[in-house]
Amino acid sequence: MADILGLIWAGMVSGCLYALGAIGIVLIYKSSNVVNFAHGNLAGLAAFLVFGFTAGILGNMAWGVALMLTLAIMMVVMAISYFVIAPLVFKSDLTSTIATLGIGLIAQGVTQLVFGSNVVSLDLPLPKWSAQIGAMRISAYDLAVLFVTAASVGLLYLLIERTRVGIAFRAVSANPFASRVCGLSLRRIHLFSFVVAGLLGLVAALLIVPTTFLSSTSVSSFMLQAFAAAVVGGFSSLPGAVVGGVFIGVLMNLLSFYVAAEFTNTYLLAVILLTLNVFPKGVLARRGGARV
Amino acid sequence: MSEATMTSSAAVKRVPEVAPPRPAEPTARRPLPLRAMAGVAVLLGLIALPLLAGGYWTFTLGLCFANAIAILSVSLLVRYGGEVSIGHGVFVAAGAYTVALMEKYLGVSVLMALPFAALAGGLLGIAFAFPSRNLSGIYLAVATMALALALPELLLYFSSITGGYEGLYVKRDALPGVSRDLQRYYVPLAGLVVVALLLRQFRRSRQALALLLIRTSAPAAESFGVRRSWARLSCMALSGGIAAIGGALLAFSSSTVSPNSFTLWTSIFLLVGSVVSLYSLGMFGSLIGGVFLTLMPLLLAGAGDWVPILYGGALLLVVLGANLIPESWRVRPGGGAA
Repeated sequence: MADILGLIWAGMVSGCLYALGAIGIVLIYKSSNVVNFAHGNLAGLAAFLVFGFTAGILGNMAWGVALMLTLAIMMVVMAISYFVIAPLVFKSDLTSTIATLGIGLIAQGVTQLVFGSNVVSLDLPLPKWSAQIGAMRISAYDLAVLFVTAASVGLLYLLIERTRVGIAFRAVSANPFASRVCGLSLRRIHLFSFVVAGLLGLVAALLIVPTTFLSSTSVSSFMLQAFAAAVVGGFSSLPGAVVGGVFIGVLMNLLSFYVAAEFTNTYLLAVILLTLNVFPKGVLARRGGARV
Repeated sequence: MSEATMTSSAAVKRVPEVAPPRPAEPTARRPLPLRAMAGVAVLLGLIALPLLAGGYWTFTLGLCFANAIAILSVSLLVRYGGEVSIGHGVFVAAGAYTVALMEKYLGVSVLMALPFAALAGGLLGIAFAFPSRNLSGIYLAVATMALALALPELLLYFSSITGGYEGLYVKRDALPGVSRDLQRYYVPLAGLVVVALLLRQFRRSRQALALLLIRTSAPAAESFGVRRSWARLSCMALSGGIAAIGGALLAFSSSTVSPNSFTLWTSIFLLVGSVVSLYSLGMFGSLIGGVFLTLMPLLLAGAGDWVPILYGGALLLVVLGANLIPESWRVRPGGGAA
């Protein structure tokens, strides 16, 4: 019983990162009805770019510069990915979803081509500080993750609730047709959600790296956790994505400690199937079920 | 592809011979002389090929045929279900392991195991379509993706049964008295022909019409008494069964199964093959996908890292290219041409 608090704490920390991944997927899905299966591969490519810029493969820059440069590249990459599938978005959800898989394959191939398929480790510039509170071991990394997640989610909240583009985003996700009649550009909103999702994906990928290692496939399998979080939260709910992410993080930690560690993906599969059976519209939808 | 257009042009030529035009002949029933002749010619060529080409080519083409069957199953799901699965590698694996396990424990050959493989694939399809039966298709895609990622873990855990990393061997002959190379070529070829013919038959069935009706308009279908959830389940069952047949023949012609050949990438590549074949449900369309999928890595053996880029590029090219084709020319996603 002593371990459980520590496990829950660690699960919450990684759950925050799944939440960031899930928010990106949900943002894109809400605005354009496209499920972006390239999300993990693009985020992985971005994490590798930061690694390349700091570790001397593509340059030898300071951490902050590398991060800024990668953020800029990521915005361009996400814009390009959107414009590639843009001709399909209004035609067929199915076709545009298939097209994102093509983008994912290309991102995966580029990562392997430039950085090889070796496993690398990427250290974040964080102080080596940690404290023990009861069973919980709190490190600087944990606090950084919580702080960055809170800041990202807070910023996103302000962006969506308070700015014009956020209002437009909500309008488009509520009713695309009516928004277009009112003169909103759906394309611009799609682009907005792709770029924001890409930036969140980069943040999540960078922060997840110190706990695992960085390989050309590790981030894309981390994305399965993000997908599971999105399913748990109901695929089109942004708060649901956060709740789902933390839930998945804690649950995975408990299961892999108390049951067996080698079944991560199987647990996720079970969670997805169970959620779809019990809460088809996500956990949060049941709670607000009175609103019709 | 342009089946209906070819049918009608062929029919126009034949009209003078038939004095009273028979009114109520269903379009699909008309014979397709040109197309059928071309088909038989290519088929004869494929049957004669082992006489000319060496063992390497017959082996590779055997794999192409088996892959083509798996690709047919993905295309069936896209065209009749309007769904995309990123986990079809799992149904292929179900078929492959059924054959390998039945040989190991019961000592039966692939032909005996084939119906059980199809059944296993079909049941698995139902099991994974069931939770998302009333939801939109993205949930099926996500569930199948999780399934594809979970499969290697499960296969490795039950390694005393499944052989772990090493996998299992499929050694038993299907046809006694025929050389092994030729068996590995002809059995998948026969499988592909049979599956393609069955799908042709299926296209004309009430079941197929009901599925297409649901794709076109779920409310209309429901008012005719066709339930959407039932459509999802039956489509996945059919597709899973066909994928498992493909897997069974793949196991037979490659004579080995291992977890390595059924990863998430296998599933994504199957979808790529299906897109490259333009979701064709015919034998030759799917064969193009199978050949693309099987031969590309071999041709690019030195440039392994280019394979995902190439597949991804091909997928985007086909999807975007098909989008540029004018509406009137385009293959309708369900059933025959417009």
